[in-house]
Amino acid sequence: MKTIVLLSEAKNPVSGRQQPSRLEAQAIGLAAGLDEAPQGLHAGSSEEGVAAGLGHGLGGLDVVETPAGDDPLPALSAFLRRAFAGDAPPALILCGRRGEGGLETGLVPYLLAEMLGLPILADAVAIRPGEAPETLVVDQAMAKGARRRITVRLPAIVTVHPLAPPPLPFAFGRMRRGEVRRHPAPAADAPAAGTLAGERPHRARPKLMRTAGTASGGANLHVGPEPEEAARLILAYLEDNGIRRYGPA
Amino acid sequence: MSRVRKDPRAERVARTLSETGRRPRLDLGRREAGPASGRPRRDPWREWAASLAGESDTGNGRKRYDRSQRQMNRVEAAHFARTRDGLDAVDVSPGQPALRVIDEPAFLVFAVVAAAGGRLSRFDRQVLGGARLLADAGEGGGAVVAIAAESIEGLGEAGADRLVVMPRASTQRERAEVLKAAVDALSPRHVLFAEEGDSADCARRLSVALGEPLFPDVEHLTARQAVRAIRNAGAEIGLAPPRLMTLGEDRARPYEDVPCEAREIEGGGEIASPDPAILSVEIIPGDPAKLALSETDFVVSAGNGVSDFGAFRDLAAAMKGTPGASRVVCDAGLMPRQAQVGASGTVLAADCYLALGISGAPQHLQGIAGCEHVIAVNTDLHAAMIERAGLAIVQDAQLVMPALLNLLKEREA
Repeated sequence: MKTIVLLSEAKNPVSGRQQPSRLEAQAIGLAAGLDEAPQGLHAGSSEEGVAAGLGHGLGGLDVVETPAGDDPLPALSAFLRRAFAGDAPPALILCGRRGEGGLETGLVPYLLAEMLGLPILADAVAIRPGEAPETLVVDQAMAKGARRRITVRLPAIVTVHPLAPPPLPFAFGRMRRGEVRRHPAPAADAPAAGTLAGERPHRARPKLMRTAGTASGGANLHVGPEPEEAARLILAYLEDNGIRRYGPA
Repeated sequence: MSRVRKDPRAERVARTLSETGRRPRLDLGRREAGPASGRPRRDPWREWAASLAGESDTGNGRKRYDRSQRQMNRVEAAHFARTRDGLDAVDVSPGQPALRVIDEPAFLVFAVVAAAGGRLSRFDRQVLGGARLLADAGEGGGAVVAIAAESIEGLGEAGADRLVVMPRASTQRERAEVLKAAVDALSPRHVLFAEEGDSADCARRLSVALGEPLFPDVEHLTARQAVRAIRNAGAEIGLAPPRLMTLGEDRARPYEDVPCEAREIEGGGEIASPDPAILSVEIIPGDPAKLALSETDFVVSAGNGVSDFGAFRDLAAAMKGTPGASRVVCDAGLMPRQAQVGASGTVLAADCYLALGISGAPQHLQGIAGCEHVIAVNTDLHAAMIERAGLAIVQDAQLVMPALLNLLKEREA
């Protein structure tokens, strides 16, 4: 099934060099399990970082050359509309949780889903084709190691969770051989705003300290109880606090 | 930051008891209004008295203090009041009512809580704390409305004035539709989500459905501004708190004050139509034995006081917990290195930690700092783990393990 992976302009936090985002590299790995040559799609001014996606397993890369700082959404939606109208429409669009390097709201996949009228599923850790044709089985990561297995009708947009399998190893030759197709950007309605209102240099702020939880009270200290009594106390504490339930008492 | 200017003459007039004699008589100890900064004044004597956890059982009058250095909330204050006759619960926070009631809220703030497994997590409490902050902003009078799939214990203590119970939706699209109906019906001033899992997904669906911008992953939230990082953390943007926000983890303080009422109100919409694109939904619970330590919610851990590791593994499986171990045990090769808990192993995010025969080295305690509930079984009464634990049992772990296994077998039978 034809798969497109959305790529963003991630930067190394230390060196500032452009690099592929880890989550998008994981998305390429998931896509490679469904499609022999998944295609990348990027809207931006430079392809230096995203071209490394070719080395991680992309079969080709489409770059819509929008000016730096411009909203990528119109360019992406116009490209995808053309792709869906073409003779080989894509079945699946994969992306990270949020693009890096821009405003990082994570809204682009949702707005694309709204514009193209596609279903969207978040936080996939595994995907495979369903039993029926034109369906996909997606495992979503949930809290505490649980998974939600959803069968969805294609075409669909799926975002990837960091617990997905690690990306395929990078191969320089594959990156050099990969084909990069450049497309002109559609005419923009409004010129790009250089900086937003209220934008300023980032200041790292400390997170809350993870301090101790419940304090030990005098009533909760038991010195030298019988082992059976101790076992009963432990299970009662677990059940009172709703950690686990172990059958009838 | 503009502070209210002090007026020393007015203060003096307020403190004057009588001016009939030769000199005016002043009541200098009187403190009706709080300090100008609005922060309540600390009373270290009272805090010290309140942190007295009890006298030692060994009979030599040795005092035990809870040194976790937390501000007392009312639940704990009541707990300490029970264990200590001389200290009244009101002493800890004098002049405050037992329940905070907001009858006619000026505006509403929604806090969407995930509450996986029917319990409020740390992150849920932080979201409620952030919502409480926004509801009390300015002249205050706002009410926090918790949005949950069921009624959850402890919502009032976490700062929720109202509760809207949402119908159980099988897909995220339906959940967002129901939430949109509630937002349309009650028109809150802010809607606050956790930037995690289904909540983050729901926030974005709601933002698209309402056509309103979303301010995600807030790093710094005050009544005046919300700040988040953009452009690969190269820049940040600060605005007056917008309507739709998601909060980053460990970014807002949980509410620890007078409990609110958490009264249930109507407002949840109906599920209109199932999503035609979703063909089936199935939830697969996680297997605790195979989970990574950083992902699990309950860890059963062994230290130097455990010698029978076969029984320990059976116990971890029977208790449906993930096995962990201290550094000593991993160094000895009795448990794999991935199971090591502590500064050089895994720092846990679990809810509960059962420490069998672990004395509690500082590096080990760092690894369990985020755990809400700790149960310690150890032979040493003065071990740090016993001091840290919510349930402390001074007994040999080797004797308690078979007793626990027997009890669990009886329960299953």
